[in-house]
Amino acid sequence: MKINLKKSLIIAALFASTANVKAQQKSSADSLLNAIDGPAQAERVVIFKSTRLVNSQTTEMIKKQNFNFQIIHRFGDIAGKNGGPQTAFGIDRVNDVYFGFEYGVSDNFNIGLNRSTIGQLIQFELKYAVMHQTSDDSSPLALTLIGEAGVRPYGAYQAFDDRASFLAQAVIARKFSALSLQVSPTFVRDNTPFPLVAGNEQQFFAIQSAARIKISNHSGLLLDYSHPFSNYRSNNPNFQDPIGIGYEVETGGHVFTVNITNSNSISEVNLLSNSQSRFSQGQYRIGFTISRMFDFRPKNKK
Amino acid sequence: MKHIIIILLAWMSINQAGQGLYACKNANISLFSSAPLEDIAANTQSGTSVFNAATGDLVFSVNITSFKFKKSLMQEHFNSDYLESDKYPKATFKGKIQEHIDVTKNGNYPVTAVGELDIHGVKQNRSIPGMLTVNNGTITMTSEFMVKCVDHHIDIPRIVFHNIAETIKMNVSAVYTAAGK
Repeated sequence: MKINLKKSLIIAALFASTANVKAQQKSSADSLLNAIDGPAQAERVVIFKSTRLVNSQTTEMIKKQNFNFQIIHRFGDIAGKNGGPQTAFGIDRVNDVYFGFEYGVSDNFNIGLNRSTIGQLIQFELKYAVMHQTSDDSSPLALTLIGEAGVRPYGAYQAFDDRASFLAQAVIARKFSALSLQVSPTFVRDNTPFPLVAGNEQQFFAIQSAARIKISNHSGLLLDYSHPFSNYRSNNPNFQDPIGIGYEVETGGHVFTVNITNSNSISEVNLLSNSQSRFSQGQYRIGFTISRMFDFRPKNKK
Repeated sequence: MKHIIIILLAWMSINQAGQGLYACKNANISLFSSAPLEDIAANTQSGTSVFNAATGDLVFSVNITSFKFKKSLMQEHFNSDYLESDKYPKATFKGKIQEHIDVTKNGNYPVTAVGELDIHGVKQNRSIPGMLTVNNGTITMTSEFMVKCVDHHIDIPRIVFHNIAETIKMNVSAVYTAAGK
């Protein structure tokens, strides 16, 4: 009797153990994989395709040892007394041309140099990414700081200091699936106020805001609006807030933007200081941006 | 006698539960495509895989963001535009090796894994050939296969068409160690 009980126990144990193993085997490979694999890592969200929209710069950085070359154009008025078919809707005139170079010292720190036709302004730029938006929302926003120091080497000025201008900007952005939004509190300091008129301030705050709406994986619609908080400009009805609308296409190493804006100038110091063109008088223009990325990382990296 | 049976039984069950499971945490996965303008090549060392030698079950998983490219812009576009790694962070394969391989015997065995390849959130039933090598308890699996972008709804716009091949060659190499209990 005792022996029989033990025997049946052993047999029961045998069944139990084999049944257990069978059940285990079915999902064991899967569960072991999950155990060693872990969840996907949070990654940096790419908010914009380019470092520049129409009139404002973005939070995006040039990656380490990458070099970005930008050519930006603003043509003449499309309509109004300076536009129309006589000037091929402004294409015959070039109001501003901007050449810019941006280099990634690291993924979060860029230096730049650019030159604009208006004022023959040469600017040196530092750009630092304080934080990036992450896919798990542990960091919901991206914050990038921009500092620019500019000099106007030509023209009659009393002292070298009078040629200098400065811009400081905190760029804050977030991507909501297909919509990227950005707002940039800005401080402008121009030792010689532009335009040089009695009553114009040497320094003022401004705000730039922009949106990008994704159309496809490689193209988007851009909206861009800027406003200077300046008594002189608020009290003078000639001054207009720069508004831009653009279409952006990315093709591998290039980003092309075609836009329409009332702003004549490209550099932020110029366009925040002196935008006197009106949409209602046909004073808006075609502009474009071409940017080309070069990668200088060593090729032998695996 | 009874004690021997019990010990034998215990040993058998322990042995059985742990038997046949092999894991790899650093599978080497690379992709390559040759295109007129520039070759596209990327590599990761952090694929994970589990192989059940008893049943033939084979699973693979890799984080899309772990692929490293020579050009950082290419890597960014790979993630944001093509593989959309924010929505589909992983590529996986879940299948079964058709041949029964005796992993106690050293040798090279040509094998075929049949199962589901999940890339970019699109599952495709595939039969993927490979080579399984057994060397003193260490199992190595290598495979080379092609992935068609269109099969996994990876859109390549016409404007960048010449920059990117429509078919990508994948190379997988995984060295397994016994996973124990």
